[in-house]
Amino acid sequence: METQANIESKWDAQLRKGTLELVILAILKERRLYGLELLGLLQSLETTAITEGTLYPLLDRLKRDGLVDAHWQQEGETRPRKYYKLTMKGEEKLADLTIRWRKSIEDIETLLNNPGPGPIRPKGD
Amino acid sequence: MSDREMIHNYLQSLMRFLSRLDQEDADDVLREIESHIYDVMEMREENGQMIDASAILEGFGQPRDLASQYVDHILKGAPPPRGFKAIQRVKRGATKGLRYATGIGGYVTAATLIAIGLYKPFNPEAVGFWANESGDSVVIGALSEVPAGTQELMGWWIMPIAILLGIGAAFLTSRLLGVLKLKS
Repeated sequence: METQANIESKWDAQLRKGTLELVILAILKERRLYGLELLGLLQSLETTAITEGTLYPLLDRLKRDGLVDAHWQQEGETRPRKYYKLTMKGEEKLADLTIRWRKSIEDIETLLNNPGPGPIRPKGD
Repeated sequence: MSDREMIHNYLQSLMRFLSRLDQEDADDVLREIESHIYDVMEMREENGQMIDASAILEGFGQPRDLASQYVDHILKGAPPPRGFKAIQRVKRGATKGLRYATGIGGYVTAATLIAIGLYKPFNPEAVGFWANESGDSVVIGALSEVPAGTQELMGWWIMPIAILLGIGAAFLTSRLLGVLKLKS
């Protein structure tokens, strides 16, 4: 039998797969971050904790897709770090995905709030 | 194995698996990951925590798996623009082909020149540099028959000249290969 923890971690993993791009774009909204900072922020939240091996290749893909910009920068004595920020295209994509994400939540909430056997009433009707 | 050795080995291995990327892109990936690893190590050191390289590397996964995530798009031609895959392949092929051609052509020329220079004392008549009267036809080499209507011009000078030219050709070839390797 599946344990509670097992169900939770499977669910989180599935959901992360579909939402990771949105998550990264959202975290970079009006922030300039390097990989380790980004990872720290993601790991500080329960359901967005991903590994280094997932984050870096994903950032590479977002960069190739023109959604983020990356620049090496050295501050003071520290070693150079590669900072990421959203491009115009990234901002637009974030706005689009945000709308879809909110719509999904709304729809699922509607289902949760309208158990059978009665009809389903979308919010606002 | 020390932590630094472990990290070094990991990055070396990752570099090999990233070889399909452009050198510049592969260097960028390695530099970023190296920077991350040493940042984490320093942070732990400052906080008085145990530095455990294997635990840090675990988050990145096996070098082969990590590299494949960076390289797959080239092999599949997936997210980048159409035609990208073909361009990559042509570029890889041309660079590789060019390197082989340069290497073989350059070193064969070098070896031949040096061999000609060294062979002169053993067969002085057969080795030389011949030109016809108008100078529009020249032959250099070790020949069983001297070409008709030509005159040998170098005599024993062919020895140092051919050997030096051969060494020069070998040197230029190795330099050129170095440049081609960097750009591939």
